[in-house]
Amino acid sequence: MFKFEDITYHFDGGDRTIQVSGAVEEGGALALRGPSGAGKSTVLRILARLLQPVQGTVIFQGRDWYSISPMTWRRRVHYLPQRPVMFSGSVLDNLKRPFELVILKNQEFDQGRAERLLRETGLSLEMMHQDAHTLSGGEMARVALVRAMLVEPEVLLLDEPTAFLDEGAERLVLSLLIEWLQERSGRALIIVSHSEDELNIFPSLQVVDIATINREGVV
Amino acid sequence: MEHGIIPISNWQLALSVVLVLLAGMVSAFLKLGLLKSLAWGTVRAFIQLTLIGYVLAYIFEWNNLFIIIPIIFFMCLVAAREATRRVNEPTQQPMLVSFISLSASTFLVGLIVVGLIIGPDPWYSARVMIPIFGMILGNSMNGISLALDRMYGEIRAHVDEVEELLCFGATPWEAVRDLVRKAVKAGMTPTINSLMVVGLVSLPGMMTGQILAGADPREAVRYQIVVMVMVAAAVAVGCLLIVGLSYRKVFTEDLALVTDMRRSNG
Repeated sequence: MFKFEDITYHFDGGDRTIQVSGAVEEGGALALRGPSGAGKSTVLRILARLLQPVQGTVIFQGRDWYSISPMTWRRRVHYLPQRPVMFSGSVLDNLKRPFELVILKNQEFDQGRAERLLRETGLSLEMMHQDAHTLSGGEMARVALVRAMLVEPEVLLLDEPTAFLDEGAERLVLSLLIEWLQERSGRALIIVSHSEDELNIFPSLQVVDIATINREGVV
Repeated sequence: MEHGIIPISNWQLALSVVLVLLAGMVSAFLKLGLLKSLAWGTVRAFIQLTLIGYVLAYIFEWNNLFIIIPIIFFMCLVAAREATRRVNEPTQQPMLVSFISLSASTFLVGLIVVGLIIGPDPWYSARVMIPIFGMILGNSMNGISLALDRMYGEIRAHVDEVEELLCFGATPWEAVRDLVRKAVKAGMTPTINSLMVVGLVSLPGMMTGQILAGADPREAVRYQIVVMVMVAAAVAVGCLLIVGLSYRKVFTEDLALVTDMRRSNG
C-alpha cells in the first residue's frame, strides 16, 4: 500500500547521510527504529513531503508520490509531529480548524465522532471549550491525534505519539490507534517510538532500522 | 497677512550652522563620538540638497515626460533598495518584488492624484509629479519595509502552525494567510495613526512648507488632506503587493516551508 525506496537525505552539508527503504501494507504498522539523532523524524518529514530527499521515491496505492499534488498527499498521508501544535482558540476550534481548508470543503466536521475519540483517549469533554494553549503536553498530544484522525487520512506518520503521556493515557492511545487501523480498510501507520513494548502491541508490525552513515561509510 | 516666500540669504543659511554646533556640543559633552558623522552629515546634506535644488529647477524648466518618468523609476529603485536593506532575510532577494510593489502602488495612486484630483496643465507637470510621487514613495517605502519584515517574523514565530496546516493539506496561502494579514496591518498602522493625529500633534511637512511659502493655510490643508489619503492608499496597495509577491518565497517548489525558515527558528 505504501512503499518507500532508497530515500536518501544528507545532514550537516553531506557529512552524514541516511538511506532507507520500507513498506507497509493495509491495516499494518511500520516502526522506524534507531538511536536518538539517527534521523527517524527526518524520514517521517520526508514521507510527509515536508523535506525533499536527494533521491528516492514513494509509491502510495500504486502511484508515484510526485504524481499527486502536495496538498492532496499531505491530506492523505498525515504527519503528526512529536511536539503537538495547537492553534489559537479552544479545543473545539482546534478540532474544526482543518475543515476550514479548501481541500476539506466536502468533508463535514463530525462533532459526535470528535467527542467519542476524545473520550477514548481519556480526555474529558468539559475541556472542549478550554483554551487549547492552557492544556498540558499530554492533553495537547491527544487533541492533536484526535484532530488528525478526524480528517480521515489513509496513512498516519506518528512521531513518538506517546512521548508526553502517562502509562494509562499511553495504553488508551495505543488501543485507539489499533482500533483506527482496523476500523476501515485502506489505512496504515508509520510510527517512531523509543519504546519496544509500545511497538509490540501492534499486530503484524514491520520494523525498519534507521542509521546515519558518515563520509567514511561508518554507521 | 503676509504672502510670498521669505527668502533665506547665504548669510542666514550660514547662521544655521550654529545649530549644528549646538548638536556638536551635546555630542562632545556626552562623548557620543558623533562629531565626525555630524560634520560629514551636514556637509552632505548641504551638497545633496543644493544639487537637487538645481537639478529640480532644470527638470521643472524642461518639463518633459520622458525625463520625469525615468526619474520616478530611479526614485522607486532607490526606495526599493532602502526598503529591503533592513529586512533580515539573507536567503531571499526581496529587492525586485519591492521595486515592483513600490512602482505599481506609486504610479497607480500618483497618477490618480495628479491626473484626476490636482489636474495641472500639462497633466504631467514635473513641479507636481515629482514632489507628489516622492511623498508617496517615502511613505510606502516605510510601509512595505515594515510589512515585509513583519511577514517573515510572523512566519518564523509560527513555523509549527504553518507546517501543521500544510500537513492537513493547506495551500501555501491558507497556511500563512492570518500571518500575512498581520503583516499588512503592521505596514499600514503608522499611516493610519498619522491620519488620526495629523493637525493635532504636528503639522505635516508639506503643509508647513506651503504655509512658509506664503500659501493660505486653508488651501494648504486641502492639499494635505489629498496627500494623507493618497499616502494611505499607496501604503495599503504597496503592502498588499509586497506580501502577495513575497509569501510564496518561503515555500519550496513542493509547497513545503523552505528549511531556512525552520532552522532559524531554532
